[in-house]
Amino acid sequence: MFTAIYNWAQKFLSTKPVRWLRDRSSAAPRRISGWVANVVRPFFEQVRQQRQTRMIFLTAMILPASVMFVLTVLLPAGRAPFDEITNPNTVNAVAQNGEALPPELVEKYAALKVDEAYWQARLKLAKSDAIQLAIDLRDSVVSLDIRGVPVHQAKIHKFKISRAVKRLRSERRLHSWLTNGFTLQKELATLPKAPIRIKEAPRDTIEASETSGEELEIETHDVHFTWHFDRQLTVFVEQVQMPSFTGIFSKGWYNFRRSLGGAGEAILSLVQLKIPRHRLWIELELSRDDAKAIYRALPKHAGLALRL
Amino acid sequence: MEDLQENSHRSFFSDDAEPQANGLLPETIAAKPTPAKFVRKVAIVSIALGLAPAVLTLLAAPFLWEMVFAVWPHSSAPALPYANAQKLQREIRALDRFVVNLQNRFKWLTPREPYLIVNTSANQFFLKSADKILHQGMCSTGSYVLLKASDDRQWEFVTPRGRFRILGKRVAPVWTKPDWAFVEEGLPIPPPHSPQRYEAGVLGEYALELGDGYLIHGTLYKRMLGMPVTHGCVRLGDEELRIVYRNLQLGSKVFIY
Repeated sequence: MFTAIYNWAQKFLSTKPVRWLRDRSSAAPRRISGWVANVVRPFFEQVRQQRQTRMIFLTAMILPASVMFVLTVLLPAGRAPFDEITNPNTVNAVAQNGEALPPELVEKYAALKVDEAYWQARLKLAKSDAIQLAIDLRDSVVSLDIRGVPVHQAKIHKFKISRAVKRLRSERRLHSWLTNGFTLQKELATLPKAPIRIKEAPRDTIEASETSGEELEIETHDVHFTWHFDRQLTVFVEQVQMPSFTGIFSKGWYNFRRSLGGAGEAILSLVQLKIPRHRLWIELELSRDDAKAIYRALPKHAGLALRL
Repeated sequence: MEDLQENSHRSFFSDDAEPQANGLLPETIAAKPTPAKFVRKVAIVSIALGLAPAVLTLLAAPFLWEMVFAVWPHSSAPALPYANAQKLQREIRALDRFVVNLQNRFKWLTPREPYLIVNTSANQFFLKSADKILHQGMCSTGSYVLLKASDDRQWEFVTPRGRFRILGKRVAPVWTKPDWAFVEEGLPIPPPHSPQRYEAGVLGEYALELGDGYLIHGTLYKRMLGMPVTHGCVRLGDEELRIVYRNLQLGSKVFIY
């Protein structure tokens, strides 16, 4: 492996652009080529020639990634995503006396338990005055409820769920996760929560009245956002429409912040000497207008009832 | 300067083995035992190089979890607390009835009498009774302007969200102009009951009170309907206002989101 890396590096050093850099008369490229020829090359040459250093080099290079993989991927994957998963109130295909139960009955029972959890959560959330959210993946509908009245219903065009959620379903442990609904903890989006515009009186307002014929600026944000709920649930919402030109950059920045947030969470757990927990995610595709209305309407610490 | 820099690199990497002028090492180096200092340097460099894949692993953890879950063995769940299929069937029937009961309880939370829903993002309203839409149309809601006065006072023109009730119904309402109306126009603020504060005809034929000074009323600026331009009230067109006024009674519910 090391020889392959070394050969590749040699090949790279003899490529046209590197040679061009080396042959230039200006100071900076000469410094770079001098550094490559006098420092980097001899170093790798020496590492290559001695078996001991070669082994140390490869081991130490693989070590950080391996440790990170074990700590942030393998250990969380083996750990339950939330404490309630150990609740024994789960459904299995084997009865207490060991008799095998018909799989279709067990499936139906498991589905009804999920329905029960969903409607109970929705009724519980209806007691609050705040705007609440209900996601029904079986009927492909997202609903905003106020005191149990569905005030806005949006069609889910497409959705994806993580393998971890599918695993809960196949183990018939879903309802223990869904019971009591979820609470929104934090969110991240490509658009502002409230499009506040600041006006200094009287300067701005007099200017505004003088130019009252001026058209109002229409918001053109692409809509992508992430909701982090408790019990490790994450909901990603993407607009169905193709992104605009500027939207591509804002989506890229949003994705980067999303990854960084996840990494930060994992690092925080490791610093506190805890095994990080993996998140159970759902990705929804909604129309831009629906996604915007739902994102803007949902308050902090809103509740969610989920049906899978 | 350049020589100095090259020397500084050399002092870190190659103090044990001076490179020749052509950049190659002396032939004898392979035969020599590796000095501990060089081994340490190799370890430092390789760990530093290995940090990049470690950071990538950290950032890509959600994708890696998906790959791991594809091959991770499933754990078994505890046994179902029903002795046989008949008992389970009975439980399913009971559970089915219970779920239908829950659904019905939820459905009954929707008012049977007319109520109003206002969408502040799309500036639309729906007059409904149970699940039936009686009327729908455009409206105007809060502009999201934060008005700052020179004396450090400020007002945010946002339509409040949540559930409200109709607390009062007025015919030919007269607008009592608050302080911000004068601040906005750059005029001096008159005393509380000054005649300058009262303006008739600007709120349309009717006004429905939601509390805290928020109203559902008409407008002179009909071309602005469908846009977020108000100071927090909900503005409707003349015909829509008439229908809403006729259908909503004192105590009727208004849902704004």
